[in-house]
Amino acid sequence: MIGPGVLPARAGIGLRSGHVSELLASRPPVPWLEVHPENYMGGGRAGASLEAVRLDYPVSLHGVGLSLGTAGALDRRHLGRLRTLVDRLDPCLVSEHLSWSTVGGAYLNHLLPVPYTEETLAVVAEHVDQVQEALARPILVENPSSYLRFRHSSIGEPQFLAELARRTGCGLLCDVNNIYVSAWNVGHDADAYLGALPAAAVAEIHLAGHAVNDADGRAILIDDHGSPVPPPVWALYRKALERFGAVPTLVEWDANLPELEVLLGEAQTADGILAEAAHRQGHVRAA
Amino acid sequence: MFALRDVQDLFREGLLGELSPALIDLVEDDGLDPRARLAVYRHHVLTTLTATLEAAFPVVCRLVDSRFFAYAADAFIRQILPAGPCLDEYGAAFPDFLATFEACRQLTYLPDVARLEWAIHRASQAPAGEPLDAAQLARVAPADMTRLRFVPNAGLAYLASPWPVDAIWRAHRDESQALPDLYAGSVRLEISPSAEGVRIRSLHRESFAFRDALARGNTLAEAVESVPYLDLTGAIRSILDDNIFDTFTMPTEEDA
Repeated sequence: MIGPGVLPARAGIGLRSGHVSELLASRPPVPWLEVHPENYMGGGRAGASLEAVRLDYPVSLHGVGLSLGTAGALDRRHLGRLRTLVDRLDPCLVSEHLSWSTVGGAYLNHLLPVPYTEETLAVVAEHVDQVQEALARPILVENPSSYLRFRHSSIGEPQFLAELARRTGCGLLCDVNNIYVSAWNVGHDADAYLGALPAAAVAEIHLAGHAVNDADGRAILIDDHGSPVPPPVWALYRKALERFGAVPTLVEWDANLPELEVLLGEAQTADGILAEAAHRQGHVRAA
Repeated sequence: MFALRDVQDLFREGLLGELSPALIDLVEDDGLDPRARLAVYRHHVLTTLTATLEAAFPVVCRLVDSRFFAYAADAFIRQILPAGPCLDEYGAAFPDFLATFEACRQLTYLPDVARLEWAIHRASQAPAGEPLDAAQLARVAPADMTRLRFVPNAGLAYLASPWPVDAIWRAHRDESQALPDLYAGSVRLEISPSAEGVRIRSLHRESFAFRDALARGNTLAEAVESVPYLDLTGAIRSILDDNIFDTFTMPTEEDA
């Protein structure tokens, strides 16, 4: 299991290419940063910038391309490129998603849903084992945002993640916005979801904003990371901290990328909530 | 019950084409039509890949307007998906696709503008070239010189076009200049990464043929053969000055 001391139990930001130059020029006191490794695998200028960032900040690699839930074999070339980047950067954490995106050698550029069955569990567990062996470290696996449920799913999503963590020793990345979005879209109970995740396995939390779209006259929430974290997600975050303790937290923002200052402000808000939670837990432990 | 692979095959078909009854039947119907739920995924895949192509081909997008570009991109994406998750590498086949896309066949210069944009896109991500080791080159025995092969910088590309594509690209890069004379004549361009960004240079016929032949992996002798009237000493000196080749490989026994 990844110890909570590896990354500070503070709030960092997802670093996107539009902010890299400003961050390198101003070096703001953000506790840690997370990047998508797929944007840096070609080396070149982007890779050099990331190495410069790594000199001053703890960095986590948050992959979107391993396709852990693909029915076929993992893309060995992609895994090799990830390993090269991990060796070069020595990130504090490496994480991926409970989803698939590759089939028949084609990449669909989305974190697509898997049915939660025993077959899928065996496939994902085998892939997580392969990744952890290749990288010689445990990874975290993130809960997806869902827009549908498969009729033949036989396992609940948090139970699936708990069993995956038990079988493989991987940690979990609890995306609170994804829980909120999925709860709305497919009708599960967000509080019960938090309660079903194994607290000891959760080593990171994600926060983000979402869009509200119309689908045939009914609201559907889209996990677009394109706006501030909304109040109900902050509320769920407080509950998550009560359950999991003060774990490193990340604010993601991808679409409609704001000024860096705005994103740092969101992280400071999360940092304040984290500090309150840590303080409360200190009191509880002392009592 | 459907096996995971069957689900994923149905999903891929449904995202890029018609939603099959089998796929719709897999999705829980809780009052919101499964087709509306599947449309969320389809919309994301198509819009994000279109945005990826727009980022790599901004001038092509301006030349045809964004609505036509989205139409062409949609057709391309349904034909050729990314081979992997590094999206900076997606779009290499888009220029050839445009050359066969009936709806823009009258824009005969468009595929070459797209080829130039792809070369610029790749060069912009590559590191600037380092000087080739001239001292090491000087130590190569004269008998071996003709069998040397040069290894090009990542991001080096050569493009010959009957259209003034560099002028078209510059005119539309910032939308501030008028379209140049389309019949200004052919160009032979070298696109390479530089410390300042990307360097686009217009080359003479001989120099273009020589450098292009070397960049394609030909030996020095083969490259010279394709350019009968070349000042070889000057040509080698200039490729050293321009930092376009990272290194060279010595001939092996098999080459001998």
